[in-house]
Amino acid sequence: MTTLTRQDLNFGQVVADILCEFLEVAIHLILYVREVYPSGIFQKRKKYNVPVQMSCHPELNQYIQDTLHCVKPLIEKNDAEKVVVVIMDKEHHPVERFVFEISQPPLLSISSDTLLSHVEQLLRAFILKISVCDAVLNNNPPGCSFTVLVHTRDAATRNMEKVQVIKDFPWIVADEQEVHMQEPRLIPLKTMTSDIVKMQLYVEERAQKT
Amino acid sequence: MEDVVLHYQPGSSAGLSSLLERTEKLLESFPRRIPPVFTPWSPTAADHHLPIRPAKPAPVITCSGDLHFSDSRTHPHTAQIQLQKSEVDGLVAKRLQDRPPAETPPQNTQEPKDAACISEAPNHLFPEREVTVLPLEKHKDGLAVTDSPVKRSWSIFTQKGGLLQSSPSLSKQFHHMVSVHRLHLHQRAKWVISQHNCGADRDMEQVWRTLSLSVRSSRLPTCNANIQRERAEIWVFCDVLHSEQVGRLLKAELQLSGRIGLSVHRLENIFTM
Repeated sequence: MTTLTRQDLNFGQVVADILCEFLEVAIHLILYVREVYPSGIFQKRKKYNVPVQMSCHPELNQYIQDTLHCVKPLIEKNDAEKVVVVIMDKEHHPVERFVFEISQPPLLSISSDTLLSHVEQLLRAFILKISVCDAVLNNNPPGCSFTVLVHTRDAATRNMEKVQVIKDFPWIVADEQEVHMQEPRLIPLKTMTSDIVKMQLYVEERAQKT
Repeated sequence: MEDVVLHYQPGSSAGLSSLLERTEKLLESFPRRIPPVFTPWSPTAADHHLPIRPAKPAPVITCSGDLHFSDSRTHPHTAQIQLQKSEVDGLVAKRLQDRPPAETPPQNTQEPKDAACISEAPNHLFPEREVTVLPLEKHKDGLAVTDSPVKRSWSIFTQKGGLLQSSPSLSKQFHHMVSVHRLHLHQRAKWVISQHNCGADRDMEQVWRTLSLSVRSSRLPTCNANIQRERAEIWVFCDVLHSEQVGRLLKAELQLSGRIGLSVHRLENIFTM
């Protein structure tokens, strides 16, 4: 076992790679489970040795990829505190918020096992929880859309230039309306603690969805 | 307040007046205070400022439920791109090569069940977005895909509609055949529809489209089907338990002529109808 700081081995990049890969799978699965998109655009794949549903729609896939590509530098620098997948109704009021709260330790104790099997098992548990979360959530109204919000540790404006990594994919500060939810119900889904990252996932669900 | 009865000893030194005074004090309501609103002593940084999000809205994809794709711009406020299946596949395959999001699918990739179109809904919060026209891809034989209808080759029964009958009754002949071959009732069996079953006035593609709709609308229990274009056959897979019922439905719904054959793995043709 070795103790390293975040600067060693560019460890932030490794963590960002792992998390962004996980977030991509998680976002696809959330969109499938919560029926934001027609089930016909999803295909069954295998990730973390469990079946997951991934979109095969190029526009949607590109959108998710672009989003995560921009989020990655924030995770790499440990500037992202929460990544939130917000499902909104037709009036663009949030009905559900899947909150991924991320925390990275300053000192890292790593071994090859830590990186490969253990973290993968923990992430698999998240995926399994997401895939059954519809059992504890109420149905969403028809015509929902989604967006991804990133809560940064510092003021958002200080992180703007870090996320503007794709020319045609600008980022803006979210509107108050998209962030705050009326009478939310909190549903904790999963938490994980590993040597390289701590993460918890919970859902905030609006009490009255219709 | 209800009446309070005070019992006291008449000879006490305090006297009645002090007793009454003390009792009144005891009966006074307790003082109440409204607790202050709870505010966490260590608010996170995120509470101080709003998060960031992509300026572009996520694509809106609606289901047309149609097997054929065609370019249409019907809604005055909604620009739509309808994608060819093969175009989608081509682009997805191309992107999959560029990125490692998930491991390779362990099974044959299943086509989208419904036609999908992207629409950009107008929204005051999200700015209007230009519709990007995806580049046309060519088939192997050089034909532009936009000019040809999508050729689905798989249809899968979705369980959403439920089974027509939980335990269908089997005919004596079929039951005998099942027991002779020692078939498991949930073993998969295959109905084969050939060109001669379609009749002279219909081609196999027409029959396939009707079948796909039937399968997708859950009218054929436990079924999945595929078309073997090179063999000019349609294969309809179902559980042995439902295969007789499926066979009858196939003949009725698709108006098949002649006899269709049922086969199972290793035994080949075991029953005709």
